[in-house]
Amino acid sequence: MTNPPPPNALAALLRHAERLSRAAVWCAGALTIASVLLISFDVLARKFLGFTTGGADELSSYAFAVSTSWSLAFATLQRAHVRVDVLYQYLPVRLAAVLDWVSLVALGVFMAMLTYYAYDVVGASLAQSSRANTPLATPLAIPQGLWFVGLLFMCVVLALMLLRASIALVTGDIATVKAIAGVRSTQEEAEEEAAAGERMVKGDAA
Amino acid sequence: MIATTLILLLVLIGLSIPVGAALGVLGLILDPLYSMLPLTRGIGELAWSTNNEFLLVAIPLFILLGEILLRSGLAERMYGAMSLWLSWLPGGLMHANIGASALFAATSGSSVATAATVGTVALPQIKRYGYNEPLFLGSLAAGGTLGILIPPSINLVLYGVLTNSSVPKLYLAGIIPGLLLAGLFMLTVIIGCIAKPEWGGRRITASWGERFASLRHLAPPLGIFLLVVGSIYAGLATPTEAAALGVTGAMILAAFSRRLTLSMLRDAVEGTMKATAMIMLIILAAAFLNFVMSATGITDAITGSIRGLGLSPVQMLFVIVVFYLILGCFMETLSMMITTIPIVAPIMIGLGYDSIWLGILIIVLVEAALITPPVGLNLFVVQSLRKSGSMNAVIMGSMPYVAAMALLLLLLALFPDLALFLPRVFD
Repeated sequence: MTNPPPPNALAALLRHAERLSRAAVWCAGALTIASVLLISFDVLARKFLGFTTGGADELSSYAFAVSTSWSLAFATLQRAHVRVDVLYQYLPVRLAAVLDWVSLVALGVFMAMLTYYAYDVVGASLAQSSRANTPLATPLAIPQGLWFVGLLFMCVVLALMLLRASIALVTGDIATVKAIAGVRSTQEEAEEEAAAGERMVKGDAA
Repeated sequence: MIATTLILLLVLIGLSIPVGAALGVLGLILDPLYSMLPLTRGIGELAWSTNNEFLLVAIPLFILLGEILLRSGLAERMYGAMSLWLSWLPGGLMHANIGASALFAATSGSSVATAATVGTVALPQIKRYGYNEPLFLGSLAAGGTLGILIPPSINLVLYGVLTNSSVPKLYLAGIIPGLLLAGLFMLTVIIGCIAKPEWGGRRITASWGERFASLRHLAPPLGIFLLVVGSIYAGLATPTEAAALGVTGAMILAAFSRRLTLSMLRDAVEGTMKATAMIMLIILAAAFLNFVMSATGITDAITGSIRGLGLSPVQMLFVIVVFYLILGCFMETLSMMITTIPIVAPIMIGLGYDSIWLGILIIVLVEAALITPPVGLNLFVVQSLRKSGSMNAVIMGSMPYVAAMALLLLLLALFPDLALFLPRVFD
């Protein structure tokens, strides 16, 4: 049996994961903006130039799938997933921390199953060299593979979070559990939305 | 079977497990319990085909459109213009709040963003002109909810996907009820301020010259609205393509006001992708759960037993309205829509209700959920903007507008053509 890595190393690892997830989100955003430009060009070309690029919809659908899966880890690290806190908010801190941990486990179980069977999809496309039934005849393994990488990254990040939260829970470090996996209360969420609104209107979002 | 499913769902959600994970885990549990075949194996293929659906590409694009427009500095000038045109009415700037929200709604698919933006500009005016605070705060929270009824709307795209209804038709159907609701909100303010003139604050006057000069500030948001909605009905673009045109237009507008920078885009895409990932996790999990529930016959059992109650269409409608009003007090709106619509829509459509009309009805109920305590997100947004005072002022102030929504629901039930007229004309 190996010893678990010390919490400090784990914390550092999670910080790296956070940086990586932010970079992944920027890539996802760049893909989305590329889709926007491609689709816009396609619509305008169809109307005014009388030709179509053929495949703008197909390519942007792939971009959508890939950008979603690449953004999952970031959303999870930012605790963006919706949780219903009707009961949670009245629970004592320790019990709430246990629920935070249970939430990570549930998310982990679902993502692990999803990722495991998503590999089947990629594997089958690879084995049969499947191509999309479209003019582009895209080899499906490429978009599916990139999509799968995002899911896998999400699983790795979840595993790290779960490990850190488990150690913190066992050692009674409730604050850390909350920081990793606590519910962002409606209050907190609304405050952030409000702050974002203020920033934007005052124009110093940049 | 039904009881087990419902209890498991309530327990998972009640344990505050993220809604996406709760739905997914429920699917994983129900599969071995009730199915002969291992349904879970299909989850990969199902997730890929759902995540690769062109119609859903509209979701990140509409979010991105709102994020870019918000950062392009339109809101303040637009509010100023609205106040010049509307503040002669009893209730003054409260009408500008509602008008600016309605116009903002026509460029943004989100209610929370609408409330946050208009609220930031409007709040300093309460003290300045001596308005009745609760009614003013309520006009911001309620006005914000127009974001999802007036097209474009993320929630309507979602309804379209969940029920296989046409999104362009849903958008058309949302226009009249959206404007009508804005009108009812204004009427609420006028009635309040005629009954209690001191609520309306000091009069603001504007000359016609100022008014006409301000029109150019209304042009950019109207332009985006026409680009997005117009291109759909001119047969130029599908909803997703229209969203892409809108984002391109928004980037051009931002470039003109010198706000199109790399760091602005980075901020905008971070917000966009975070929201998209959150929504898509729920959608992927719900797609899997719906697949398991229909393959094991649970969906049929639930709809069957509800039909077995033998309620008339009108009784059923009443039950649905009450159901959503109660659920809306406790649940976040997107998850509420995704979990309930696959069950509710087939029942209601089976009873003879039009799916487009039903979509609009449900959206109005979702709007009510945004401003009913304890979990009304818009209430919290307005409260955090003002930074002081009691939350009760926002809650009390929003209640008259909930009544206006109830009136709209009644009107929709009595005159379905309020929603269905435009889709029929354009068909």
